[in-house]
Amino acid sequence: MESDIRWLDDPQTFRVGQLPAHSDHRFYQHYHEIDAHDSSLSQSLNGQWHFHYAPNPQARLKDFWAADFDTSGFDTIDVPGHIELAGYAKLHYINTMYPWEGHHFRRPAHTVGQDTSGAGMFSTAEDNPVGQYVTDFTLAPEFANKAVTIQFAGVEQAMYLWLNGHFLGYAEDSFTPSEFDLTPYLQAGSNRLAVEVFKRSTAAYLEDQDFFRFFGIFRDVTLLAKPAAHIGDLHIQPTLADDLQSGVVRLDLQFSPVTPDATVRAIIRDDEGQTLLDTTQPVAASQTITSDTLVHVHLWDHRHPYLYQLYLEVRDGQGQLLEIVPYQFGFRKIEINAERVIRLNGQRLIINGVNRHEWDDERGRAITEADMFHDMHTMKTNHINAVRTCHYPDQIPWYYLCDENGIYMMAETNLESHGTWQKMGAVEPSYNVPGSVPEWRDVVLDRAKTNYEVFKNHTAILFWSLGNESYAGDNIAAMNHYFKTVDPTRLVHYEGVVHDRAYEDRISDVESRMYAHPDDIVKYLSDHPKKPFLLCEYMHDMGNSLGGMQAYMDLIDRFPQYTGGFIWDFIDQAIAITDPVTGQHVLRYGGDFDDRPADYEFSGDGLLFADRTPKPALQEVRCYYGRYDK
Amino acid sequence: MADTTSKPLRVIYGDVTLGVQSARTQYIFNYTRHGLESLVIDGKEWLYRTPLPTFWRATTDNDRGNGFSQKSVQWLGADMFIQDAGATVKIDGQPIDLPIAPSNNQYSDHEYAAGVEVTINFTTVTIPTTAVQVTYTIAGDGTLTVHVHYTGNANLPDLPVFGFRLIMPTKAVRYEYAGLSGETYPDRMAGGVPGTYTVQGLPVTPYLVPQDCGVHMATKWVKVTRGTTQDNTNLHPGEFGLQISSVDAPFAFSCLPYTAEELENATHIEELPPARRTVLSILGAVRGVGGIDSWGADVAKQYHIPASRDIDFSFTVAPA
Repeated sequence: MESDIRWLDDPQTFRVGQLPAHSDHRFYQHYHEIDAHDSSLSQSLNGQWHFHYAPNPQARLKDFWAADFDTSGFDTIDVPGHIELAGYAKLHYINTMYPWEGHHFRRPAHTVGQDTSGAGMFSTAEDNPVGQYVTDFTLAPEFANKAVTIQFAGVEQAMYLWLNGHFLGYAEDSFTPSEFDLTPYLQAGSNRLAVEVFKRSTAAYLEDQDFFRFFGIFRDVTLLAKPAAHIGDLHIQPTLADDLQSGVVRLDLQFSPVTPDATVRAIIRDDEGQTLLDTTQPVAASQTITSDTLVHVHLWDHRHPYLYQLYLEVRDGQGQLLEIVPYQFGFRKIEINAERVIRLNGQRLIINGVNRHEWDDERGRAITEADMFHDMHTMKTNHINAVRTCHYPDQIPWYYLCDENGIYMMAETNLESHGTWQKMGAVEPSYNVPGSVPEWRDVVLDRAKTNYEVFKNHTAILFWSLGNESYAGDNIAAMNHYFKTVDPTRLVHYEGVVHDRAYEDRISDVESRMYAHPDDIVKYLSDHPKKPFLLCEYMHDMGNSLGGMQAYMDLIDRFPQYTGGFIWDFIDQAIAITDPVTGQHVLRYGGDFDDRPADYEFSGDGLLFADRTPKPALQEVRCYYGRYDK
Repeated sequence: MADTTSKPLRVIYGDVTLGVQSARTQYIFNYTRHGLESLVIDGKEWLYRTPLPTFWRATTDNDRGNGFSQKSVQWLGADMFIQDAGATVKIDGQPIDLPIAPSNNQYSDHEYAAGVEVTINFTTVTIPTTAVQVTYTIAGDGTLTVHVHYTGNANLPDLPVFGFRLIMPTKAVRYEYAGLSGETYPDRMAGGVPGTYTVQGLPVTPYLVPQDCGVHMATKWVKVTRGTTQDNTNLHPGEFGLQISSVDAPFAFSCLPYTAEELENATHIEELPPARRTVLSILGAVRGVGGIDSWGADVAKQYHIPASRDIDFSFTVAPA
């Protein structure tokens, strides 16, 4: 297989050579590795990589991926991290406008304009910087004689991958894992990995989120050793009976690879260590294990995030342990009743939520686990019970934290095409994508599928969100249909359909709005609401704000169909620098890097300042949300 | 012959000023400088410049988004420039002719009173104008009560704030207050927990773009502690304090090292000048901050400050 730079221009080419998306389960060789989250079947490639920066594709080193390429002239860069924060490319914050506004004229391929092919739009662009990464690695001894894959947890915004001079594949969708099989081209001793990352591609149209525009390998890179029999995908389906008292767990396992005579043992324990299921079965490529009816199951919710512990032990024909997969899951049921009230475990659901971008004032979106723990602590101590992963899937550990801490999740798909339909504040969808443009259908369906497949086992996810502010059309309706087909147990959320009501029966289980005035919400809820209502964004906490929250909290008491909302947002996005004039350690925002056009301080809307100190408004949230956290 | 034994306040009928002295406090009202030029407690000066009514708050992001600052911009001018429409003086409750030269030739160096009241009449530089009075009443024990009155005028835009701004010569060490925790506004005070709080230094809430901040609603008293003066004979006298207390109703205040105009002019916190003063604003009316969005939604009506309505508030000033 040969790489082709023209894939950058083609919305129909977005994944080449990748393994199919699968569940985010971790796997270990020994039980004692589990608590430390340190699997001997996993090897981190984070660290300093060789790096060459090119301002555009024309200036890139064409054969840097060759096995014998001399990288002595390369710099080094930290992986994970953003190329802009390493000083190579200009920092730029812009909200809804595309980042090339005022610099280049572009229209999405297959929409409008003189040439709708998109040929060369990104592959020959002057404004498409390239990061060329090289690293050499040697496999850990435990990896010998096993299939080996590499997982990129997040690379923005389009990447090509080579191993030892062989092209392996291509990935977009910056915020979900991309995994490639290295096995065919691995060699003994040192192996050379080359990754070419482009800042822009057709994915740019779908990733127009309101944030600093970064590129690079910004999340973990990990090698994974797959034993002779390995659980490639796991689907845990805990189902409650109608009485919410008893339940059944169904486990769907896909093995890849699979070896004859292997067995899998499934164990489920409650949180006191009582064994509820212990069964051993021969491994098949695809198999299902179903528990007996479990009586008196404990329910999972915000107040009592009760989780059951699943272990899957895979052994070879000699009984030798190959891998252990631990996973925690809970029983909970979300539904919309006849009165259009969202109910969780038979009780009305109240969302006292926040939108959370991943952010650190030094590292940008390359946040650490310590940041996640801090954020979770802030949520718990301020009675925040829900998070919307605005506007892309977060790092995987965050989902586990939400399961453990009872934080309801709206799991958003990586999609925002804001600049294609809203201009100067007005709805103007003349070149909207994905819209109903056939060539933009598969790419958004793939993003939905990846979001689902990776995170499907997380109890905390109550809503799948189709994305943010991308207008409405057949393709978003197809995403909705996808989620309803694969996962009838959760609700689907999308706000943008309010701009085209023709799709409202095909898109979104809820009437979702952003920044609606309380009077408008009263109007909707007083007139035979078609759907339950929620605010996917409200209380815009820009600067000194968050006044008048009482008017929204009153709606909770007034309308059972009012589900609550997600405050905009959790943390300011600003970048820490040392001020050259005063020497002070200060925070900078859009426009402070000579980046134009910019949206300046518009990303400073958090309940926390960018350095994670709380804003004064946080006590107000703690007060109001605390009234319902009982 | 004046009664020199039973009346505790000594009054100095100067040519330009009126001096009032009690055991611990000395006041000087200057007719050419719009009021109270000097407030000395135990030998330490508390005023950098004559305190004046204040009408402006540094534009918040929501104010910018909904165009409030454009609509109410007249109050920025009113905050920076105000017309003095003359002073009146009462001694022991009785109005007297303004005691400037030559009518003050009737007095001596041994004049005493049981109470002194000075009112400064102001006219705002708005179109139309309206009247504001600041009345300083000094009781026999030397306690100062300030009453501030705004005369409503329906032809003026909503006010960003209405208060009385004291600028102290040096930066305070800390302030303490009895009121609500944290920074509160009329539409964001449910989470404020009643109590007594100490704030070290004079922190400016580090919003990305400096803007109005640091307001504390529903306050019974605030005590400002300083440790430095500008008096070259006594630059570091050790800590000393001043307390503002409510009279009829709790008040709001902010205590920052900057005026609204200084905050207004900065796009980043590091652009603010070095902090060297204490700007204590006692607020009789505070506009809500809003929060529905930051690009047009107005603050809820009940948290506006309509210009049509009279505003009155009072507080006392005393040694801490």
